Amino acid sequence: MTVQILDRELERLESLWADGLSETYRAYLETVGGHEPEAQPKLALAAALIEVGIRLQGLGGHAAPPPTLLMGDLCLARASRLLADTATQAVQVAFAQAIEGLSAAAAAGNPARPVRELLVHAFSAGA
Amino acid sequence: MISGRLRFESSRATEFVDLTRRIRDEVKKSGLRTGRVHLQSLHTTLGLAINENEPLLLRDFQHLLERLAPGDVGYEHDDFARRYEIAVDEPVNGHAHCRQLLLTGFATLLVEDAKLVLGRWQSVFAVELDGPRHRELAMQLDGDFVEEATVEGRDGSREARLVELELARQLMVDPDPVALPMRRLMEAGGKRLRPKLVQLTSQIGPRHDPVRATSLAAAVELLHNATLIHDDYVDESTHRRGRPTVAAAEGAERAIAVGDYYFAKATRLIAEIGNSGVTTTMAEALEAICASQIDDVALRGAFPGDHDSYLRVVRGKTAALFAAACASGALLSGAPPEVVGALKRYGDRLGVAFQMADDMVDFSPSSGKPVGLDIRQRVLSLPLIYAAEDRSVGPEVRRLLAGSLGDREVGRVAELVTSSNALRRVGDEARGLVDEALRELESIELDGLRPTLVSLARSAVDRTA
Repeated sequence: MTVQILDRELERLESLWADGLSETYRAYLETVGGHEPEAQPKLALAAALIEVGIRLQGLGGHAAPPPTLLMGDLCLARASRLLADTATQAVQVAFAQAIEGLSAAAAAGNPARPVRELLVHAFSAGA
Repeated sequence: MISGRLRFESSRATEFVDLTRRIRDEVKKSGLRTGRVHLQSLHTTLGLAINENEPLLLRDFQHLLERLAPGDVGYEHDDFARRYEIAVDEPVNGHAHCRQLLLTGFATLLVEDAKLVLGRWQSVFAVELDGPRHRELAMQLDGDFVEEATVEGRDGSREARLVELELARQLMVDPDPVALPMRRLMEAGGKRLRPKLVQLTSQIGPRHDPVRATSLAAAVELLHNATLIHDDYVDESTHRRGRPTVAAAEGAERAIAVGDYYFAKATRLIAEIGNSGVTTTMAEALEAICASQIDDVALRGAFPGDHDSYLRVVRGKTAALFAAACASGALLSGAPPEVVGALKRYGDRLGVAFQMADDMVDFSPSSGKPVGLDIRQRVLSLPLIYAAEDRSVGPEVRRLLAGSLGDREVGRVAELVTSSNALRRVGDEARGLVDEALRELESIELDGLRPTLVSLARSAVDRTA
């Protein structure tokens, strides 16, 4: 991802980049090889934002304090917009279903599959 | 099943408030054909009665209640020295509680042929026993409702019913831990303005598809409610639409999970519609909402803030979804870009005006909501900003807001805001924005929907609840 694009997509979330988002992004970047080259960075960033976002919110664990929850919400919203810009309809649906599964499990107090596993699987939707 | 509240204001200590016409209107509005209207008093000094509305007879009833439970004989309930945890404003009203015991707090009325079944002389009364007060009855209508296809008109009544059915259908397939809290929130009310905007604007272009429009409208409403669930946790709100918030009732962890679930579900439903313009428009709106929430919380450090900050936050927090609802409906219908743009601006102005009107409701005793909730929660509010700027009341408002806000301070701030010209200024500004919104519609072809969009915009700001 070019520096300019990265800067734009990380607006208001810059502090998270140094706080683990960059590593998470790189990990996902290795899993999106099957997608169009120009789409890969945004897809990887979307997945990384979802993973970091739900961790910030405390989904499935202790509730985050309000300001942290709102940062988590913004991560999810930004990811949603990145997917709308870049992903196929099948991938968008698969990502949403992954979050539905995670949050339904959290609401029921049930264990869920690891987030990364679910999101990596979502990348293969429609492939 | 339709749930709601009947709110009213009593004007005397003892009063028989005839609600028959209002209940008839509710039945008509709901489309209930055969079934029941259940009413429940939400107060311990408010009863229900079905009897004749004849003024002298009502005086007889009042005298009877006074004889059976006189106001001046002394009640143990009124001996505050022997009671614990008494509210500061606890009234002396043992007699009112005793009188309520002689009445009922519940009523079930039958509906046949879409009409309330009442005898010739029967009227339905709420019986005020400790007024004057703001009162609220819980109301549920159940039974067979008019088939959707027979509800005619382009005013949105048929479409509104379709959205309710779609919402019910969506919630039915969701797991209980998320569906039940969301169902309680949705059944408690809500104006459904955003889905209405989607459905109206989806009729403007050449490709009207009611099924996809309904699905989009329901998704927008789910998204809106998902944001409310997180908001309520952030704002530490205990009640919304007269019921405990999800966070208050089920804990913050559950509230976060329910909000996330419906955020994801709504984005999936939108993606499944398969219109990339709609998907992007809604995703951008959601991003704007979340960014503004962060600004909103940050601004509470400088409470009550200023006009520019207010507009910036409200544009994102409220108006973004109004604008996206309008634009996405039009995009779905294949409307040309200039029409989509005009409707988006219409939604934006309307959304800001709606929020201003909502701020004013916080100072309206007839709204049925506790006055001063925004003050207590230090929520960004334009009447407060204007009152704080006011030459005469401003210094005291600012001093009070800078300190801790107990009942007395909140009451005083509300009094100062009401006594200043802040509410008039906000009302004027909201109506000005509605005019601006309507001007956006002047240059575009709306296929006969103009009167509905005009009326919807006007009613969004001319309200008390």
